[in-house]
Amino acid sequence: MTGADGTAGRVPDDLRELAPAYALGALDEADRERFEHALRGSPELRAEVDAFRAAASGLGEAVPPVAPPARLKADLFARLDDVEQERAEPDASAEAGGTTQVPAREEPAPEAETPAPETAAPAAAHDELAARRGRGRTGRRGLALILASAAAVALIAAGAIVGLNWSGPNGWGAQREMAALAEASDAQQTTATVSGGGEVTLVSSADQGRSAIIAEGLPDVGDDQTYELWYIDDAGIVSAGTFDVRGDETWRLLEGEFAPGVAVGITVEPAGGSPQPTSDPVALLET
Amino acid sequence: MTHALLPHARPARQGRSARTRSDKLGRVGEPGERAAEGTAPPLGDLLVATATGDRAAFGLLYDETAPRVFGLVRRLLVDAAQAEEVTQEVYLEIWQTAARFDRAKGDAVAWMLTLAHRRAVDRVRAAQASRDRDLRAGVRDLAVPVDEVAETVEVRIEHERVTTALASLSDVQREALALAYYDGCTQSEIADRLHVPLGTVKTRLRDGMIRLREVLGVTT
Repeated sequence: MTGADGTAGRVPDDLRELAPAYALGALDEADRERFEHALRGSPELRAEVDAFRAAASGLGEAVPPVAPPARLKADLFARLDDVEQERAEPDASAEAGGTTQVPAREEPAPEAETPAPETAAPAAAHDELAARRGRGRTGRRGLALILASAAAVALIAAGAIVGLNWSGPNGWGAQREMAALAEASDAQQTTATVSGGGEVTLVSSADQGRSAIIAEGLPDVGDDQTYELWYIDDAGIVSAGTFDVRGDETWRLLEGEFAPGVAVGITVEPAGGSPQPTSDPVALLET
Repeated sequence: MTHALLPHARPARQGRSARTRSDKLGRVGEPGERAAEGTAPPLGDLLVATATGDRAAFGLLYDETAPRVFGLVRRLLVDAAQAEEVTQEVYLEIWQTAARFDRAKGDAVAWMLTLAHRRAVDRVRAAQASRDRDLRAGVRDLAVPVDEVAETVEVRIEHERVTTALASLSDVQREALALAYYDGCTQSEIADRLHVPLGTVKTRLRDGMIRLREVLGVTT
């Protein structure tokens, strides 16, 4: 959640050059993941994307309008009660957007300041959408609840550094991805207990090719050590990033691509992580 | 830019549509410009009101923008039933997340179309292997909407900016942008479709977008 400015200058050119295609939604999966990973740490990249999106919307405006069927509006309004609105900032008029959020100037103030509804509400709403479509209902309410609690914790952590909280591994960008993960019609979750205490839930989507863990009650392993995540399959073991439970960070999107059938392991490693696990896993989640 | 661009659209919203265009161009916060508008509330105001749970404002917003959203979604999805479903999801998301709209960063229509485009592309990807996808493959995809723009462009001066921007692109850039934006193709899919190297597609998309951004006057 820190270092947004520090990382901004480290965006490699080859990633920066993906911004136009990202704004068009045209990146292939691997590139998109790489780009979004960089996006989370770079306000500059975010600004680039915003500018290209604005340009792209010109393409949208060039499409001839088509009147939708009248019943669409009636159906829509019949469903509004099912959707919880994100709250607007009580004092912030729209014109004031971003004025107090200097480090996060590329993000609208409401996004930076209300991370909890950001993540929780979409999860709940999409859950509702899914239910109404009569698919994927099982387990999704539970998932929304888990995400809501994860977001609430993120809010507490974010409160300390309002304005930076959109970047970093638990920042706004990640929360958005987390919400997208919950939105996935094929979202799966599995839970495992952790030796040493606590439990870990893995949320995954084969469609989106990503996964995240939500940790509850895990012990802090101290400054010298960190939890490290691993994707494990027949081809071997690949690091999927590290996380700590300090600062109430309880969830983490895994780095790299999720593929169904892969197992996710968690080990305790020296601070900074290891290229390969150096200890036995404290938890193993099969998918 | 707006439904006023349609040959048969009602002309009453032209003042507002001029405003939203100027927002897009980054010239925001010019009270005189807004004061000179007609009586209809600006879309940005409707969106702000929507964020407070104002259903009447949301209803007006829907009436004013649904043809554009539906038009774009249907362009991507072709299938009318899916387009309706996605359009409804788009408006539910607008209702839910209107508080995120920041008019300092762009106009309301751009915000909504960005959201609509993202959802439609998501649906395209989800349906990638389906029959719908196959049906969409073909010459139609290569038709760049410039002609459609040209039919309506005389209606609105600001709309000429989009047309001009598109016209200033090379044919291959326009083709690549159209396949990406209007058909929801990824870069690899565009390369396959056009039988050109991926690197070439990337260059065309990037250069085309940079050009579009310049001509539309979008600043970072």
